[in-house]
Amino acid sequence: MAQKITVIVIERSYLLRSGIEGLLKEFQGMHLAEIYDGTEKNLIQKINTLKPDCVIVNPKAITDSLNTFVRSVNNEATVIGLISGNTADHIKSRFANTLHIKDGKHELMNSLSQIIGRKKNNKAPNKNQPLTERELTVLKNITLGLTNQEVAEKLFLSIHTVMTHRKNITKKLGIKTVSGLTVYALLNKVIDIQDIEQ
Amino acid sequence: MRIEKDMKLADVIHHDFSLIPVINRFGIHLGFGDGTIEEICIKKSVNTEFFLTILNTYHDPQYFPKKHLQSFHTATLIEYLKKAHQFYTEQKIPEIQNLIFRLTEESAQHKDRYQLALNFFKEYQEEFTRHIDREEKLVYPYIYELEKVIESGKVPEKLIRRMEAYSIMDYEDEHDNVEEKLFDLKNLIIKYLPAPSNESTSYRILLELFDLEKDLREHARIEDMILVPKVEAMEFTIQKMIR
Repeated sequence: MAQKITVIVIERSYLLRSGIEGLLKEFQGMHLAEIYDGTEKNLIQKINTLKPDCVIVNPKAITDSLNTFVRSVNNEATVIGLISGNTADHIKSRFANTLHIKDGKHELMNSLSQIIGRKKNNKAPNKNQPLTERELTVLKNITLGLTNQEVAEKLFLSIHTVMTHRKNITKKLGIKTVSGLTVYALLNKVIDIQDIEQ
Repeated sequence: MRIEKDMKLADVIHHDFSLIPVINRFGIHLGFGDGTIEEICIKKSVNTEFFLTILNTYHDPQYFPKKHLQSFHTATLIEYLKKAHQFYTEQKIPEIQNLIFRLTEESAQHKDRYQLALNFFKEYQEEFTRHIDREEKLVYPYIYELEKVIESGKVPEKLIRRMEAYSIMDYEDEHDNVEEKLFDLKNLIIKYLPAPSNESTSYRILLELFDLEKDLREHARIEDMILVPKVEAMEFTIQKMIR
C-alpha cells in the first residue's frame, strides 16, 4: 500500500523548481502540493493548511527570520534545506535534513528516499497498531493455525500467559473468532496470504 | 408495550417495523388490511396465542413467555423456527453476501481487501448452514419423537439410549456461538477495512448485519425460553414413565 506524501517546495529560481519537480516525479506516492517563491503573504499559514509531510526550502527564499520559519512549520512536517557550497554553516545547522544543489541525481534520490523512508517508519506502527510486539507474535501464530498449547511451547510461555494475551488481543481489537483475527492480520500485514495457504 | 390480541396489527407494525419479517413467517404479508391481531390470525388460521408470544418475545427483550408455554403444540413452534431458518438462509444471508460482493466490485483499489471480508462471510454462511442443518435433521426429529412417545405411552428401548447420549441441555450449550462471527464482521467493517468508494454500500451492509444479529438473538431466545423448557418437561415425563 503506497502511502501518499505531500510535499511543498519554496524556491525562487525557475530552473531549480523544475528540477525538484522532476526529481519528485521519480518517487511513487509523492505529491507536489504547491510551489512558492517565498514572497507570498502569510506563507506559514498557507503551508500549514496544506498539511505537508515535507517542506523543501531554499533558505535564501525566506525573507523573514529563517529560525522562526522552521519553528512555525507544522511539527508533522519534515523541513529539508536546499543548500549550496556557499551556504553559511549557521544556516545549514538550522536543518536536520538537507539536499545539496550541486549533487548528482543519484545522490539526490538517495538522500530524499532516506528522509522519506525514516518518515514512513516513524508513522506506521504506533498509530494503527494497538498491539504490543508480544501480542503481535501470539496473533501471528494463532492465525497460522496453532493451538494455544502449541503457541505456548513455541514461545516458551505458559498456556495461561498465552490465553491472557489472546484475551487482551480480542479486547483491544474487538474481534473474537480466529477467522476474524486472520482477516485482521492479513489486512495489517501481520501475516501474508501465502503463509496460510501453506 | 405488551402486544395484545385486540390491537390493530397495522398499529403494532407502525410501532415496531422490525416485526415485518416475523409476521411474514406466519404467512401474513403486507397489505393485510385494518384488522386486529385476533381477526387476522383467525382469517389466516394462525394460533393467536402463539403469534402473540412470538411477537412479544421479538418486541421486548424483557418479555418472558412462561404462562403461554403449554398452550400450543411443539409442531407449531418447530414449523415457525423452520420458517425463520428459511428466511435467514434463502433471503437475509444471500442479500448480505451480494452487498459485500458489490463492495469488491465497486472498489478496484481495495478489491483484495474486501475479498477477505467476502471469504469471511462465506465461511460464516457455511457454519450457519451446518448449525441449522443439525437442528433440523437431528434436534427437531428427536423432539417429534418425544412427543409421539408421550402420546402413545410406550417408550421404545432405542429412545432411552438416545436420551442418555443426548439431552436437550446439550443443545442449549452448543447453541451460543454463531453470533461471534457476525460481531467480528461488523468490527472489521467499522474499524479495519479501508474506506469504501461508495459509503452507502457499507452502510447498508452494516444495517443488514445489525438487523440479522437482532433477529438471531430473538430467535435464540425463543429456542432457549420456549422450545428448550418444553422439551425438558417432555424428557422429564418420559423418565418418570420408565421408572
